[in-house]
Amino acid sequence: MSPVSDSTRRPSVLHIFKVYYPDLFGGTLTVIRDICAKDAFSSAVLVCSKAAERRDIVVNDVPVERVRSFGNILSLPAAPTFPWRLWRKIPKHDLLALHAPFPLADLVFAFGFGRGGPLVVHWHADIVTHAGLRWFIEPLMRRTLRRAEAIIVSDKVLIDSSPLLLEFSDKCHVVGFGIDLAKYDWPRLAPEHVNDRGRLVLACGRLVPYKGLDVLIRAAAGHDFEVWIVGDGVERERLEELIAELGVTDRVRLLGSVPDSERIKLMCIADVFAMPSVTNAETFGLVQLEAMAAGRPIVNTALDTAVPHVARHGLEAITVPPGDAEKLGEAIQTLIRDPERRRRMGLAARTRAATKYSAAGFRDGIEQVYRQALAARAASCATDAAATTGWIDTVRIAGALAWSDMRHRYVRSLLGPFWMSLQMAIVVAVLGSVIGQMSNGGVLSRLPMLALSMTAWTFLNSVVLDATTALQNSGSLIRDRALPPVIFLLQCTFRQALFALHNACVPLLLWLVLTRHETGGAVAALPGLALFVACTFALSLVLGALATRFRDLKPIIESTLMLAFLASPVIWSSDMINHRSTVMQLNPLTHLFAVWREPLSGGHIDTVSIVYVLSALALLTLASILTLTHLRKAAFWI
Amino acid sequence: MASISLRNACLDYPLYGAYDFSLKRRVLGRLIREQDEMRTIRAVDNVSIEAAAGARIGLAGPNGSGKSTLLRLIAGVYPASSGDVEISGSVMPLLGLNAGVNLDFVAEDNIALLLRISGRKPTRAIIDDIWAFTELEERMQRLPLRMFSSGMLMRVLFATATAFPADILLLDEWLSVVDENFSAKAETRLLKMVSQAAIVIIASHDQPLLRRTCNRIITLDHGRIASTALVEQPAAHPFELREKRA
Repeated sequence: MSPVSDSTRRPSVLHIFKVYYPDLFGGTLTVIRDICAKDAFSSAVLVCSKAAERRDIVVNDVPVERVRSFGNILSLPAAPTFPWRLWRKIPKHDLLALHAPFPLADLVFAFGFGRGGPLVVHWHADIVTHAGLRWFIEPLMRRTLRRAEAIIVSDKVLIDSSPLLLEFSDKCHVVGFGIDLAKYDWPRLAPEHVNDRGRLVLACGRLVPYKGLDVLIRAAAGHDFEVWIVGDGVERERLEELIAELGVTDRVRLLGSVPDSERIKLMCIADVFAMPSVTNAETFGLVQLEAMAAGRPIVNTALDTAVPHVARHGLEAITVPPGDAEKLGEAIQTLIRDPERRRRMGLAARTRAATKYSAAGFRDGIEQVYRQALAARAASCATDAAATTGWIDTVRIAGALAWSDMRHRYVRSLLGPFWMSLQMAIVVAVLGSVIGQMSNGGVLSRLPMLALSMTAWTFLNSVVLDATTALQNSGSLIRDRALPPVIFLLQCTFRQALFALHNACVPLLLWLVLTRHETGGAVAALPGLALFVACTFALSLVLGALATRFRDLKPIIESTLMLAFLASPVIWSSDMINHRSTVMQLNPLTHLFAVWREPLSGGHIDTVSIVYVLSALALLTLASILTLTHLRKAAFWI
Repeated sequence: MASISLRNACLDYPLYGAYDFSLKRRVLGRLIREQDEMRTIRAVDNVSIEAAAGARIGLAGPNGSGKSTLLRLIAGVYPASSGDVEISGSVMPLLGLNAGVNLDFVAEDNIALLLRISGRKPTRAIIDDIWAFTELEERMQRLPLRMFSSGMLMRVLFATATAFPADILLLDEWLSVVDENFSAKAETRLLKMVSQAAIVIIASHDQPLLRRTCNRIITLDHGRIASTALVEQPAAHPFELREKRA
């Protein structure tokens, strides 16, 4: 009955990228669209979009979910909910295809979320534009690549030129992009057609700096050919200024975005296709492949990427140094002057596109890599079943156990879910009345704080006491199911946190009924509360392990906690007691409560308390780390 | 790919409780230079096992020869005192069926929790599948396990534990289910699970069983490997053998 997915269904592939049609056009998107058109897989796309309307759309029969983005920061979409949406979508697909670079998605994979299906990374480009952020992004990308089953690059040179990819060269597969030649047979013009007096130079690409279109415009200024540039983007204004400045408005035209069919037509009538890209962000230059399919000679640049390998110098192209307007102009001029050479190069280009970069070859190549990735994951249906995997699973299992504890807390109880809260209410009422006898007035206004303090104290006390017996109680799970012992210590904190939330209804009710509702202090108290919880957890970790190893510790811990409670201002408020009491000042509980109680009641925290709590936390953290390294031996202690 | 590699693995089992370990004793012992007594038992002694995918290993040996401890060492419960232990692949230790069961919870919740513990997400469909295997009435899903007879309980636990395939399967004694009818069904399922797993290690006293299911039998004695025997798998399918036996 093993619920392993049946093989008859088409595997579903989720493509992850930052942007998709109709927000943008470009080489990478064409690639994704072509892969989606493959019938062997059912595809879906998850991207970001600035468009407010329509989250789910359908593009070319492929469902596309667009996560709302609030603009671009450092060329990345600012879509805070993207990691969440990605995490939710991952389990629904058999294979994930991440189109890198996209650090927002790396974030999800790097932190171990979405360890569901196999992952294939399409490596479109390295990070070039904001290289300053490498120190931060690179470790994320490395983790993603480590997790990936396969990495697809468009040319071998990309592997050799990227140190990061070299680390994973055994996973890399070279699948050159493909082009459907039939689309470029423009009926009125044979591919080998050459206009003897033609001087039309075409360039296509988003108007962004790395495309080097300014270089092309400068090159045009020194010669007399015409330049048409297809595409739109942020650089438009700057390029327009440049054109006006150089006085070439009559010869250089920015055509803006044009539909695919128009672009193909333009490619067929152009005389020379120029690709003046200036940085390695241009990894392949799908558009030069399109021009090759249309039988046009190419002028490209000598980048360290696949660009000069797709159209090779002297065969299908003239390759010039990137950013060199003079050489670029000369190369174009050479071709313009020599129609016979244009014809020869154009035919060679078309042949190369047909043989080396066929659309079918590309799709088959991708399909093969996808299938291998699926098979590899199926063969070692590894990580998801193992109970001894990463800390995420540990937390998840601890959470599940704690939640089950919470749900079954009232099994066979008489009063049902709220009897514990009722108990808390009674404790608070009794204590409140006693304190009211001892101090003068204002008891009622103190009750909410008293109730909250009792809730917090109950949390700390129960977490630590539970931890001292947790490992023994779960001995069978540790020994027979090989679960890491830390799960059960974590479970104590989770379980008591849930109980505390449950009990918190008592102080909340009192607060609603008895006080003026000021919420300002609550936010200020949050960091202190976080410290409180962190200290509690670390303490339970250390004491839980120690008490399992040395059985006489449990009673000692119990009585010490009780003493600490009595010698602390948990039930007393600060004005009722002498603050200078040395014992009370030395008691860590005093400070552990002060860091969140003071801001909550509108006061401000004593620096001594902060220092005391922080150093206690540092010590506890150190002790916890030591404990964790020894916790593997816990199986012996049980 | 799943693999197990133990190289000269030793496990010293510390004996807490059997000896006086207290602080007083330690300080005094230090003072009067008492000889350090034996406070550990070497439960696994210099064991080397290499297993690649396809390995079916049987562990035989008398009680206390270290079979279970060796299984726990492989499962990662105990850290090796010396030597190397390298495991790749997901390990499914089925060393005791009762682990993690709470008799006060209803059956359904227990199944869900046990699935969570083994890292699976319990969905309605999976739980229903498991329940279908137990052949118990639908409405019993909502009864606490305390109400179940021991045989019924075993059915539920067995069905849950064996619901998913694993790379490396560790079995301490063949999981036996008492009920005559069900036991045949359970064995079929276990055999299927064994056939799906890449590596299986079974500790058992039942020599015929080991010979039937394993291709290598390692006999342990006092934590050491006394002998390793390769078993020629008979041409007959294990299922047929089972029927012959029945």
